[in-house]
Amino acid sequence: MNWSRRSFIKASAAGIAATGLSSPLWAKPTAPGGTDASVGYFERFGVNKDIIRKVMATALETGGDFADLYFQHKVTNYFILRDGAVNQAYGQVGLGVGIRVVKGDQVGFGFSEDLSLSAMQQTARTASVIASGAAGKVPDTFQFSKNLPSRYQTQIPWDQVRAEEKLPLLNGINEKTFKMDKRVVKANITFMDESEAILVATSDGKLLEDIRPMTLLYLTCVAEQDGKRESNTYGVAGREDRSFYSSDRIERIVKSAVDRTTILFDAVPAPAGEMPIVMAAGASGILLHEAIGHGMEADFNRKGVSIYSDKLNKSIAQPFVNIVDEATQNGARGAINFDDEGNPADKTMLVENGILTTYLHDQISAKHYKLKPTGNGRRESYKYAPMPRMRSTYMLPGPHKEAEIVQSVKKGIYCENFTNGQVNIGAGDFTFYVKNGYLIEDGKLTKPIKDINIIGNGPKVLEKIDMVADNLVVDEGGWTCGKNGQSVPVSQGIPTVRVSSITVGGRNA
Amino acid sequence: MMQPKEIAAMGLQIAQKKGAQSAAVSYNRSRNVSIDWRDGALEKVEDGTTQSLSFELYVDGRYSVVSTSDLRKESLATFVESAVATTRVLAEDKDRALPDPKYYQGLIEKDLHLMDPQQASISPQLKRDLARETEAAARSVKDNQHILSVSSQFSDSLDETFRLHSNGFEGYQAGTTFFLSASVSVHDKDGKPEEFAYAGGRYFKTLPNPKTIGIEAAERTLARRGSSKGASGKYTMIVEPRVAGRLLAMMRGPLSGRSLQQKQSYLEGKMGQSIASSLLTITDNPHRPSGFGSRLFDNEGMTAKALPIIEKGVLRNYYLDTYYARKMELQPTTGSTSNVELALGDKDKNQWINTVKDGILVTSFLGGNSNGLTGDFSLGIQGYMIRNGQIAEPIGEMNLSGNLLPFFQNLIGVGNDPFLYSSLLAPTLVFDQVEIAGT
Repeated sequence: MNWSRRSFIKASAAGIAATGLSSPLWAKPTAPGGTDASVGYFERFGVNKDIIRKVMATALETGGDFADLYFQHKVTNYFILRDGAVNQAYGQVGLGVGIRVVKGDQVGFGFSEDLSLSAMQQTARTASVIASGAAGKVPDTFQFSKNLPSRYQTQIPWDQVRAEEKLPLLNGINEKTFKMDKRVVKANITFMDESEAILVATSDGKLLEDIRPMTLLYLTCVAEQDGKRESNTYGVAGREDRSFYSSDRIERIVKSAVDRTTILFDAVPAPAGEMPIVMAAGASGILLHEAIGHGMEADFNRKGVSIYSDKLNKSIAQPFVNIVDEATQNGARGAINFDDEGNPADKTMLVENGILTTYLHDQISAKHYKLKPTGNGRRESYKYAPMPRMRSTYMLPGPHKEAEIVQSVKKGIYCENFTNGQVNIGAGDFTFYVKNGYLIEDGKLTKPIKDINIIGNGPKVLEKIDMVADNLVVDEGGWTCGKNGQSVPVSQGIPTVRVSSITVGGRNA
Repeated sequence: MMQPKEIAAMGLQIAQKKGAQSAAVSYNRSRNVSIDWRDGALEKVEDGTTQSLSFELYVDGRYSVVSTSDLRKESLATFVESAVATTRVLAEDKDRALPDPKYYQGLIEKDLHLMDPQQASISPQLKRDLARETEAAARSVKDNQHILSVSSQFSDSLDETFRLHSNGFEGYQAGTTFFLSASVSVHDKDGKPEEFAYAGGRYFKTLPNPKTIGIEAAERTLARRGSSKGASGKYTMIVEPRVAGRLLAMMRGPLSGRSLQQKQSYLEGKMGQSIASSLLTITDNPHRPSGFGSRLFDNEGMTAKALPIIEKGVLRNYYLDTYYARKMELQPTTGSTSNVELALGDKDKNQWINTVKDGILVTSFLGGNSNGLTGDFSLGIQGYMIRNGQIAEPIGEMNLSGNLLPFFQNLIGVGNDPFLYSSLLAPTLVFDQVEIAGT
């Protein structure tokens, strides 16, 4: 059950529920686009334009304004190294179609894992209960969208890489981890690869296909020193192929995981109460995701329940604050070629020169506001209806330098590495959990700190971002955003920024 | 349509034919229906049935788990063949095996009352009416001029599982659930506080009146208006039953075989020792009638038994599945929780509030996390100040931090009022001397 809260969970070995193995059955995915008569990839499951048209007709026979079909085939594989050996693999195949019927602001939704015409028509009838009236119009033909962007330039799809070719990556990282520091006593590695095909067909005649790759890798280590133990994790993710795991990236994974673990032996309890904080460039983008991103999703604003519902075109931050949500960065975890409703997904300015400029829209909210969709209609899978979601959310570079930002703080903390965050959309309160950071004393980073939650209020904290550096980093970690029970991959980033005051959940209040 | 047992049997046959020396196959089917109502109109209707077949494969001393929703027979054969081939390239693991069949023994024939036979006869119209009445009830309260939006939902589900192991286990479990909820947004000076209420059960007839839920949601939300941040300090803290499970859940990871074997648990080496106040007694009870976590066998097919976890503060058992038990040379208990029950005290939430001169009542947590290795934790909170034994002003944007060992030693009260709409049946919990950050 997920009520009015939006949770934000970093994927980790501990969070894996179900998982899969590579299937050579789908060895040669067709290139997106297909020929005019064809529906491309999904033809192998017996789907064609005539069947889509018939299912669409059933979906609209009670008078829906709009209907769409979302076909998905996803093969996910996990390999896990524990105690020095890759001795467990998990695999999952999902195949199905989600059918949605829209009447005004109302939605009927169903899904089927059987792609036969009769099963899909039965599902279409389920979704059509939302409407009652004369049958809607079905397009005579579906036009395949051509010249779509290509933002995941993978050379070899994951479903063509054999398991034995993946294992040396994990074994190599394990070896390097133990070599790097004698204090390491355990290493856990989770590697995931995914091949996903989707086909979107809409009652306004659109037909779009996409083949979306994904990979992620997490290294968790446990170290011991003087009878004390500490543990930490570093992870990377992207819509990439094997070349993603360059020797530079592997070195960074190993060094970051080990350094982030061993520094904890020196950590002191963080102070409690209101104080200035500095957010390091990169993963600190979690601040934006929670403090403003969710609140800008147009479904909450259409219902008038977001703290940002009445702030459009108003100044909400310093003029050097610019925040975007975009889908265009090649290979980013949050990149998409188009959204799950088949709408173009490019760059959306949320905040421009401190002014709130636009919400993040799906098709329903865009229609409500009489705007073009912003390409934020996303869904976890065919089992769910789409809704407005973030993609890659970050702040553009500002006028300050990181060094001057740190020097400006007399007593506060520096936040570097995070596990998760959450927000109340209406009240605006949000949190993020700091896994690593430092005390700032008299303008200098001093002792390391760990494991504290920070809590603030979105609009109030945005007003208090009073310094922004020029060092934007979009984090390479495997961030996953949860909303109303649906998870989608996202990216986030930020330059180093200062928040002049926020509540730090430390000790010794 | 094939029966669950036939599908599982077909799966096991394929697994063995394709080269698995032993295997466990489980077929799952689940139908979920939900009706959303918002601000006087139907908002969304969802209805979907999902099924999957999953295989735990043991091939030449190697192990993998795969599942698929594509149950066409020809796809299954290729899918399993590919999974077996992948399994063969993994490292050998002598500790991977199906449970010893002695753990399948003693399965009791008992009706746990998990399945409502009336489910199929509840009409879509009745479901819509319940959602509509819940929403309308929320709007009927005093001070409703502050209400911005009300959403309500009726949902129900039917879940079925059939498990079949190559070393002699077979078992079927099925259950229904029904939930009714409302969430409300109101406006105040600074923002739009939101709150919610819900109830659920295994039987439709046990759902409370929609009015109760709607009114509770509206009253909870209206009480949040004008919330402010309190002062940092050490407090007596009362946590209400609906959210108290969040605190207990932080012990769950550290109690698991994996955390212990991977040196990631603050509870390692603590068996038989005091890890909490003597007021804390926790039992994992799989046989609770109509419980959300009730079961006759666990997800490895092992016969479910009541398991004492903590007795009067003393750690009595870990959650050990077959694999990690073998690795640690211990007997398995179970690798997953069923219903988590506490020994109850004799006061409810309100009676506890009356005993506290000054303190904080926590009604929800926001974000936060815990470090299972060290026991350190930090959680956002909202709730109310308690002054002279009475609920006072609403507070929010505050944070609770501590370490699980001393924190649970400071448990000074347990309520008699467990939250019934979850498999984690936490009552009111009262803690002394907790560290809370605010202004």
